Amino acid sequence: MQEAMERHGYVAEPAIATAAYLATQMRKPLLVEGDAGVGKTEIAKVLARVLDTELIRLQCYEGLDVNTALYEWNYQRQLLRLRMAERDGGDPAALENLIFGRDYLLERPLLRAITRREGPPVLLVDEVDRADDGFEAFLLEVLSDFQVTIPELGTIKAEHVPYVVLTSNRTREIGDALRRRCLYLYVEHPSLEKEVRIIRARVPEVSEQLAVQIGRFMQALRGRRLSKPPGAAETIDWARALMHLHHDRLDREAVDETLGCILKDPHDVAELADADRTALVERALVATSAP
Amino acid sequence: MTGRDLVAHLARFARALRERSVKVGLSDEVDAATALTLVDIGDRDEVRRALGASLKIRPRDRAAFEDAFDRLWREPGARGEARARRAESPARRENAALPRAGWGPGTPPNVAPRPGGIPEGRVPSYSADAMLRRKPFDECTERDLAAMERLIARFALQLATRRSRRLVPTRGRGLVDLRRSFRRALGSRGEFLSLARRARAIEVPRLVVLCDTSGSMDPHTRFLLTFILSLKKAARRTEVFAFNTTLTRLTPWLAPGRVGLTLDRLAAGVPDWAGGTRIGACLADFVEHHGDDVVNAHTVVVVLSDGLDRGDIAPLVGAMRTLHARARRVIWLNPLLGDPRYTPEARGMAAALPYVDVFAPAHNLESLERLVTLVAA
Repeated sequence: MQEAMERHGYVAEPAIATAAYLATQMRKPLLVEGDAGVGKTEIAKVLARVLDTELIRLQCYEGLDVNTALYEWNYQRQLLRLRMAERDGGDPAALENLIFGRDYLLERPLLRAITRREGPPVLLVDEVDRADDGFEAFLLEVLSDFQVTIPELGTIKAEHVPYVVLTSNRTREIGDALRRRCLYLYVEHPSLEKEVRIIRARVPEVSEQLAVQIGRFMQALRGRRLSKPPGAAETIDWARALMHLHHDRLDREAVDETLGCILKDPHDVAELADADRTALVERALVATSAP
Repeated sequence: MTGRDLVAHLARFARALRERSVKVGLSDEVDAATALTLVDIGDRDEVRRALGASLKIRPRDRAAFEDAFDRLWREPGARGEARARRAESPARRENAALPRAGWGPGTPPNVAPRPGGIPEGRVPSYSADAMLRRKPFDECTERDLAAMERLIARFALQLATRRSRRLVPTRGRGLVDLRRSFRRALGSRGEFLSLARRARAIEVPRLVVLCDTSGSMDPHTRFLLTFILSLKKAARRTEVFAFNTTLTRLTPWLAPGRVGLTLDRLAAGVPDWAGGTRIGACLADFVEHHGDDVVNAHTVVVVLSDGLDRGDIAPLVGAMRTLHARARRVIWLNPLLGDPRYTPEARGMAAALPYVDVFAPAHNLESLERLVTLVAA
């Protein structure tokens, strides 16, 4: 699994690979938690590529309801059909059956995930912590039975049980019941060695030396008291930014120009005073010049 | 190791985790057993990772998990287990005593003498034998308390009620609910005689109260605890914590009903009651250990404190920033604010202010009354 994930450009730690492997074998949802930008969403994307299947994504937000997550009727079509029926006359019961049929149903991510005909897809339920408790309970029901009931249509059973990945930024604790249903993985910020490999894998134009410098800088930066420590996503953005600006080594000027790529909170930017930035850059450089 | 040995061993491991107060359920054990059949059981690290994922070990339980794993998953076979179990038993006893450790008389008083430069305002009383003090609570009359409870019931609702983003069916005004409208129209052969509507749901109040019980707050404590108890009555999902030099979760202690009785029990139970304060350290402790569980975007956090802190202000600022970012609203009620001579220049108070949504006095009933209108506005 680890090799397969690496082949698709994801630098996977053994812990991530083991959890992903178990999730596919045990057919259990995988709940991934961790700080923003550590690559939680990426796990689902890579999993879809490894399994060579479709990725269906459900982005959660406050107020997300069943209509948006599961299904909605195509009202415009239904109305048109009604008007036509009015003109032609006909049996009202038959009409009702018709306009509440599968053809008039708009599938939303959850329904699509369980009705996909060409093999099981990967269903990514992103940032599940943002949805309300009520939605979590509903999700729990779908994930345990893999069937949904639409009052007008009856119960729809899953064609295949999808591979499910849930992610959470821990803005709220996920309920125990949902957690029980899943396998659990906590993703930490990458180690220096892993971070350098991530940079090399995702931004191949970056030289080994610069990658190491960036890695050291980020590692040292996360040691500071920041309210939003930068994740691997920021590292990749930053490496790309440095490439676009044709910096082939890290220096004070380069850091000042591109600080917005890695620090995204005014408090944090203020916290990182001038002297501090110089110290971080020096640390990143010294370490590489004497390997 | 045979399959049955493995299951028995897993059960022992799960028990060891539970003794370390890691929540592990039967279904988790079943998952773990399945997971172990899928990985190379000879590879210790692989087993560790598989158990971590299948037992749903959260970061805060990680240390306990690693510890239990090191003890119990040292080597397969009955002997290794027996040894591991012997090694574990003292730890078990220790653990059993742990939740109460902070309450007993054996705890060393964590009180440093107050330095000379106390910010003025009202000079708080301070005593070094804080551990031994048991305060009588006999200042408020029954009538005051009854009036207060009525007031606070109203206040708590206004404080915490809000409209959710979720839409629910309503009879009144709201957005058109096409799904239900359509259903209705079918009954009248496709004519939309009336439209069904949806409006934003009203959310259940959820409060977290952090109450300072240090010496400088002493004159107000009875009053404020009454306040908290009434809040708890009005909004059942209220979590209450007391802090002075350490943080204590009070929620399980707060029985509805008699205020006086609860107060006496609390004074006996909370370590360092009427002692010193380390607001920053306590709030940081709260954010770290309880923040995930009880504070979310629906929570209103109420801090009751005078902000007289002798500790470092950095943890206070960090904790307040996190709370402010995570909670719906942060309200700081300060009894000293009732004194017209008082300005919030205590270092801790000044540092916390930028992260407070509502900063208001709380020294008597009248101040709370004003707060109701303030919050409702």
